[in-house]
Amino acid sequence: MKEVKTFQQMHRDGQLNRRDFLKVMGALGFSAVAANDLLIASKALAATPVKGGTVIFANNLHGPDDQMDPIVFTSGIDYTRGVCTYNGLIQILDDMTLHGELAEEWTPNSNATEFTFKLRKGVRFHDGSKFSADDVVWSMSRHLGKDSPSVAKSFFANVTEWKKVDQYTVKAILSSPDSDLPIKLGEKQCKVVQKDTVDFTKGNGTGPFRLVTFQPGVKSIHKRNDDYWREGANFEGIECTAITDPIARINALLAGSVDLVNNLDARGIKLIDQSPGAHVNSTPSGQYGGICCLKNTAPGSSDDFVKGLQYIQNRERVVRSILKGHGMVGNDHPISPAYGADHCHELPQRQYDPDKAKFYLKKSGYTSAELFVAPVVGGIEDACLMMQNNLRKIGFDLKIKKVPNDGYWGAVWMKEPLNVVTWNMRPTANAMMGIQFAPGGAWNDTFWNNERFGVLLKESLAETDQKKRHDMHCEMQTLVHNGSGMVIPYHTNILDGVSDKIHGIKNVPLGSLGAYTWPEFAWKA
Amino acid sequence: MLQAILHRTGVGVATLIVVSVLIFVGTSVLPGDVAQIILGQMATPESLAALRTKLGIDQPAYIRYFMWLSDLMSGDLGVSKAGSGIGTIGTPISEMLYPRLMNTLRMAGVVSLVAIPLSLSLGLLAAMYPGTRLDRIVTFSTLSLISVPEFLVATFLVLILAVYLGWLPAIAYMSGNETGWQLIKALAMPTLTLVIVASSQIMRMTRATVLNVMSSPYIEMAILKGVPRKRIILRHALFNAIGPIVNVIALNLAYLVSGVVIVETIFAYPGLAKLMIDGVQTRDMPLVQACAMIFCATYIVLIFIADMATILSNPRLRHPK
Amino acid sequence: MSENDSDVTIMQFEELPDAPPKRRLKFSWTGKLGIAVVVFWSTMVLFGPYIAPYHEADILDEALFIVPGSDELYPETDFQPPSKVVFLGSDYLGRDTLSRILFGARTTIGISLVATLLAYLMGVTLGIAAAVGGGWLDTGLSRFNDAFLSIPHIMLGLVVIAAIGSTIPLLIILTGFIYGTSVFRIARALGQDVMVSDFVEAAKVRGEGLWWIITREILPNVAMPLATDFGLRFVYIILFISSLSFLGLGVQPPMSDWGSMVKENLAGLPYGSIAPLVPALAIATLTIAINMIVDDVSAHSGGKLAKRMI
Repeated sequence: MKEVKTFQQMHRDGQLNRRDFLKVMGALGFSAVAANDLLIASKALAATPVKGGTVIFANNLHGPDDQMDPIVFTSGIDYTRGVCTYNGLIQILDDMTLHGELAEEWTPNSNATEFTFKLRKGVRFHDGSKFSADDVVWSMSRHLGKDSPSVAKSFFANVTEWKKVDQYTVKAILSSPDSDLPIKLGEKQCKVVQKDTVDFTKGNGTGPFRLVTFQPGVKSIHKRNDDYWREGANFEGIECTAITDPIARINALLAGSVDLVNNLDARGIKLIDQSPGAHVNSTPSGQYGGICCLKNTAPGSSDDFVKGLQYIQNRERVVRSILKGHGMVGNDHPISPAYGADHCHELPQRQYDPDKAKFYLKKSGYTSAELFVAPVVGGIEDACLMMQNNLRKIGFDLKIKKVPNDGYWGAVWMKEPLNVVTWNMRPTANAMMGIQFAPGGAWNDTFWNNERFGVLLKESLAETDQKKRHDMHCEMQTLVHNGSGMVIPYHTNILDGVSDKIHGIKNVPLGSLGAYTWPEFAWKA
Repeated sequence: MLQAILHRTGVGVATLIVVSVLIFVGTSVLPGDVAQIILGQMATPESLAALRTKLGIDQPAYIRYFMWLSDLMSGDLGVSKAGSGIGTIGTPISEMLYPRLMNTLRMAGVVSLVAIPLSLSLGLLAAMYPGTRLDRIVTFSTLSLISVPEFLVATFLVLILAVYLGWLPAIAYMSGNETGWQLIKALAMPTLTLVIVASSQIMRMTRATVLNVMSSPYIEMAILKGVPRKRIILRHALFNAIGPIVNVIALNLAYLVSGVVIVETIFAYPGLAKLMIDGVQTRDMPLVQACAMIFCATYIVLIFIADMATILSNPRLRHPK
Repeated sequence: MSENDSDVTIMQFEELPDAPPKRRLKFSWTGKLGIAVVVFWSTMVLFGPYIAPYHEADILDEALFIVPGSDELYPETDFQPPSKVVFLGSDYLGRDTLSRILFGARTTIGISLVATLLAYLMGVTLGIAAAVGGGWLDTGLSRFNDAFLSIPHIMLGLVVIAAIGSTIPLLIILTGFIYGTSVFRIARALGQDVMVSDFVEAAKVRGEGLWWIITREILPNVAMPLATDFGLRFVYIILFISSLSFLGLGVQPPMSDWGSMVKENLAGLPYGSIAPLVPALAIATLTIAINMIVDDVSAHSGGKLAKRMI
């Protein structure tokens, strides 16, 4: 029975505890005794990780712009190669807790404006040279400064300097308090490379796998690094490629041609569920699909227009029909329940209400509009078509202008009055809110500038009292929910397809396949 | 003949330059540039400016074009802008192109080895017996196959041969150390798809052209003389139909080299066609140019051969007055 | 050829009899079937949207799909099999496939037909001009044409649409232009063959004007192979637009177009949905029908003789 096997695996991989496992088996019609036998059987499966084997991972995207330079990592295939090849200072694991990687420990000063990192000794790069503080200072400083092309530099805007204290100690000096610095260092771009690296395509890192072949847009081949500084790295080899067509990607997994795929099309889930040999990993996340109505221009400048679009979202049906249940309804702000304590559960959910939508749109005076749509995130085109159809029924003509993904971020987003957007989940609610809504910020994509929001953003970062922090976040979410030009109908789960031969993949809401940490922790058996 | 070759080479070079200008203008009117694509959603004006400087794309477009052209003259295809990221050394384009060119040529070669004899014989067969049940069956099945989009053919084949039967891999992914049987298995499915796509057109045109020639006076003469019909078709009609048929074959070969994006995408086969589309999508100008030059040169050579065949098969064109 | 010569030749050939009367075009049963199918789809082009049960953009309510007696409030609406609610099943978004086929007839046939005609107008005019004119005109046109032809079609489409944006007039002009380059090559090659034939030589000697030669000698003699090509070109344009939709371009949603319908419903194939097959079948019937007619027309002009040999 397919379900039993899946639950056994979940139990073994620690995603399902004993009690829940027995409960599920009861629901499936097993007697208590039989269920207990199945539990024991799953423990037998749960043997320790097995060494060896080669795994093929197929990402959803790749191209000549595949990078081996961590500061410009932007896609899943870059992140995976990064985890194989390099280490960061700090790692975020599945329960969103922090673990030291190249930093053994870190301590902030009293007001979180200075962090001291003790580095691991005896670590070597793949070329045999020793890892030291110089490499960290050089690597981390590349995220600083206005001219830095780092895609993670917004996280480190308040870092003024990285300083070497001695051979194995470094310090980060901040201009304003930020207790979230360590978690931000867990981001996929914050990998440590060798000082003065010129040719990143060689992939000279300290990571668990050595880079053997790197062909941008074709594949990369990685072999286990036998001198790795810690246990782990179970696979003998890893091959990364991409299958850009979503249906071909699913078929390749089902045919056993690849072992791991990401960004599954929700419509393929049932197929994988029914098939022998593979299963779906679905992780609730903060990633969302949304529509930006620019507040500095028509029609988004009209609050009534935005309200109209928000009330015409049939959110429940989007999650049900388009995401096949693998997502959550959005409440017109980015902080989904996946952000934990910072999510404002008190804020009432906005419901589908065509009458209200009609009322507000009429009040706004607009009868038609043009929305730019690119397939930036799973389900967005379909959700827009559903919205368009609902609007058609209340007599509003929404034209959809479909544009390609490439060039979208430069030419359409933050430029056209109505456009679609997605934001990946950020490690903290503060980081997410800050990057998208900080007044006057570089990525404030609805041009909504709210002074009160800016004050709360700063204060909440320094707030240590959980209750007060939650209230501040709640107020921020309410402000975005009511005032900004964002329409957020849904948050999508992270959907990965995994061969039944691969075990030990964690569910981390920050990204596919355990936020791409699988190369080091998963195994094949 | 030599003069013709020299003349055509000169004309070919001129065509290459026209194409490179067209490509250059085309890619530079596209929204965004390579720096914008690399940084994506997280780009800021400052980081864009910094990256543009590092990539050497901050100069005016025409200067970049002439720099590219002078590099090309000295045999240097340049470095992929997208792949170089922000390191100072990027992937040389020749290094990116070579394995993919080999993949493309391998696929095109295998497909034409199967498709050309198959479609020529089917086309001739249909032309020999027009209006018969055989002709109708051949015509009907090729027309049905022609009208199905490539991606439907490909997906069907994958579902049946790879997912349900498990005989062949679903993608043409190669680690690099495949030999013999593994290689054949990896290539089987895309080859099959392309054979289906390419054969139908050649077959249709063969049938039509041969039938057209059959109505000419000298064939009528031959029929009246009592020459057996097989001889008429193979000796007279086919020879005189060679021009148009070779043209269709040449265009199909060019398509197999440059136009098989969908098949390369579905089977994740790293060939040139997908590389060029990737190049356009990342606004990697030197990469797009390099692909365009290969496609254009291939096309020119194929068309030259086709034109020669047309001329050689028609004595009047052979000896222009 | 001097003025005097032509005067003489005209006098000499003035009393020649007219060409023999044309045989009447007779269609075989396949040709008649082809005509019937084409008439059917033409009717759908005109009236399809009025007889469609739903609008092409209509994402059907879940309530419509509730099986009587079932307590399921929200049944699935996508990739549903044919039923009383949706005669040809529903598509990936829960829209009615039949309605989308009926609406799509206008888009698909309309765009492809106009684009094919445009391609022919351009390709044949310039191709014959190159063949007749020869010299620098031929060289110039041919090289320019070669330059465009050597760039992969899909690449040209991608660049133009990405730069300008996808609208129906643009799609028509773009595909017309792209396929016009192929028509040009064929028309030019055929024209060159005819230009050196005896009857054109004779006409030249006779002193016929260029226009007379083109309309009376060249066009009739290249018409048949071009007709065969027309039948194919038409379907290539339908398929080209569907390949644009594969790359995320093509007609703007929610407008339906048969080729794009195949693409967007491909995910239903493993579930046994007919949503991707119905539009494929529609394309196939139209393609086969048009080509059956073309075959009969060409058999009329050339094939008859070959038939006699059997």
